[in-house]
Amino acid sequence: MKRRLFLFFASALFLIYVLAPVAWLVSSSFHGEAEITSRPPHWIPHQPTLENFAAIFQARDRKVTYETRRKGDPATGGYIPSTARDLIPSMWNSLVVAVSVVLLNLLVAVPAAYAMAKIRFIGRSTSIYFMLTTRVIPDIALVVPFFLFIRTFGLLDHLGSLVITYLAITVPFSVFILVSYFESLPDELDKAARVDGCSRLQTLLRVYLPLAAPALVAVVLFTFLTSWNEFLLALMFTQTPKSQTMPIVVASFASDFTISFAFINAAGVLAVVPPVAMAVIFERYIVSGLTAGAVKG
Amino acid sequence: MAQIRFQSVGKTYPNGFVALGNLDLEIADKEFVVLLGPSGCGKSTTLNLIAGLEDVTAGSLYFDSTLMNVVPAHKRDVAMVFQSYALYPHKSVYENIAFGLRMRGFGKEEIERRVREAARTLDIEPLLERRPHQLSGGQRQRVALGRALVRQPQAFLMDEPLSNLDAALRIAMRAEIKKLHQTMRTTFVYVTHDQAEALTLADRIVVMKEGVIQQIGTPEEIYDRPRNTFVASFLGNPPINYLDGTLSADGTRFVRGALSLALARPLQGQAGRQVKLGIRAEDVDTRQMNQMLTGRVSSVLPVGSDTFLGVDVEGATLFFRLGRELRAHEGENVSLSVNMSHAQLFDSSSGASLLWQ
Repeated sequence: MKRRLFLFFASALFLIYVLAPVAWLVSSSFHGEAEITSRPPHWIPHQPTLENFAAIFQARDRKVTYETRRKGDPATGGYIPSTARDLIPSMWNSLVVAVSVVLLNLLVAVPAAYAMAKIRFIGRSTSIYFMLTTRVIPDIALVVPFFLFIRTFGLLDHLGSLVITYLAITVPFSVFILVSYFESLPDELDKAARVDGCSRLQTLLRVYLPLAAPALVAVVLFTFLTSWNEFLLALMFTQTPKSQTMPIVVASFASDFTISFAFINAAGVLAVVPPVAMAVIFERYIVSGLTAGAVKG
Repeated sequence: MAQIRFQSVGKTYPNGFVALGNLDLEIADKEFVVLLGPSGCGKSTTLNLIAGLEDVTAGSLYFDSTLMNVVPAHKRDVAMVFQSYALYPHKSVYENIAFGLRMRGFGKEEIERRVREAARTLDIEPLLERRPHQLSGGQRQRVALGRALVRQPQAFLMDEPLSNLDAALRIAMRAEIKKLHQTMRTTFVYVTHDQAEALTLADRIVVMKEGVIQQIGTPEEIYDRPRNTFVASFLGNPPINYLDGTLSADGTRFVRGALSLALARPLQGQAGRQVKLGIRAEDVDTRQMNQMLTGRVSSVLPVGSDTFLGVDVEGATLFFRLGRELRAHEGENVSLSVNMSHAQLFDSSSGASLLWQ
């Protein structure tokens, strides 16, 4: 009983630690300027407002300059930055990059992982370890070579530069996740499928993929989130709103010292929505024990 | 429908392990061949080579007169049943059985007809809509058989299909597999380490050890005329007894200390040779005849139908199987007569038979 009580409070504490900043983010995005700067701060806005979101979605039609900024007390901020109109296009850029990276990851990592898990060839384990060791190198060390590569191919300030470099980062992990999962599926299924008339590719598509759903979901979530959140490489390779992704644009807001914090938090809420939506959609596909009953009695 | 022929086939794995040395084997059309041996003897590898699941690294493998070395598994018309059954967990029983036909482009009605027929043969019709995890071990075994037989393949390969079943079910399934072979009239290659399965099912048994064939023959040949001690020991329960000794000067008797037994067939010109006499557990009885063997009873193990008797003879312990009416007690002396016409004789050092070559 004592133990359960302890566990209850410990997990409650942990939940607060994890969720409180998110709660504050969401709640403050509905704050007006006066309220967010008031002391003491309140969790529930007294006069909830959608102004911050409106500012984001209308930024394209509303020209924001120094002159046309919203009236307010400059000393307490309360302004929408001139870069606000870049937010929605940058989210679109992020989405395009993330979805491309997810799809290409599956296209590359699934066959690679199947081959490494189920086909014996010379250099099999070496190649797995080699791929993994590339991930020991910190991204920052790769920035210069990546930059030269991207520049040579004329991809600077182009979404392609992000897709290519994110693939280099995510594919090794995806392969690793899938290799361990495929290895956990019995070899005899592979043999049975091939004797039943499947080529290697058909074996992969018709037998292993349906069984690998949990691992595929993990790969999709991992690559999507990595691409969606990536900052360093995006900062290097993108220069204009044409190719800037969401993290870059949101970060640029903070450099405007008169910006409204409520506005930044509204942008933050929008940034969180797609990953959360992904997690909610895929959560129910993460079914374990699907392979129970494949072998033995 | 197909004769399977191995011509000097070798299989070496990338890590250098030689699974098969130099295999020569012909499996006749419609024959039931059992590959028998301990684990690691290369019997499963042989089966995988036939199925095309592993590549031949030396020699040639033929189906009839077609060289199969480079034909991939899915283009070979064979079916296989696995030890673990390897049913597709995400498919229903019906889909499991139909899958091979689908992959080979059969029409919908034909598939339906064949699946129903196979299900009827194997008595699993009520299970068709279930998933593998809802089935018992025996039912899964039947589904695995169904998946193979529905294709009416040129060869039917089985890799220890019964070893995950309990003893009673195993014997029942053995009988069914034998019946299946008779109705399907196709080539069966069956891998097992269970001598009883091999003796019941096989037209011919291939005994293997460390990638080398030890002997090929009918169950009677393998049991009654083993070519070496390995084959002799592998079959029989309890296993064959060995006595080391020498041949008498005239080559007609086996001698070990006070024990002297006349051989059924004298060996000429082998006087004084060091030999191993093999006596199967059942080749003795309590009737008083000439070829007598006396010793002290060291253990009495009744097993219902029979009694296993451990006897110390001239410093060696032999195990015999005798009728359950036998009344014997530990420490007593017994004399048993040996059926020398069934006795085996091997060279002491090489283990090769001196009677059968």
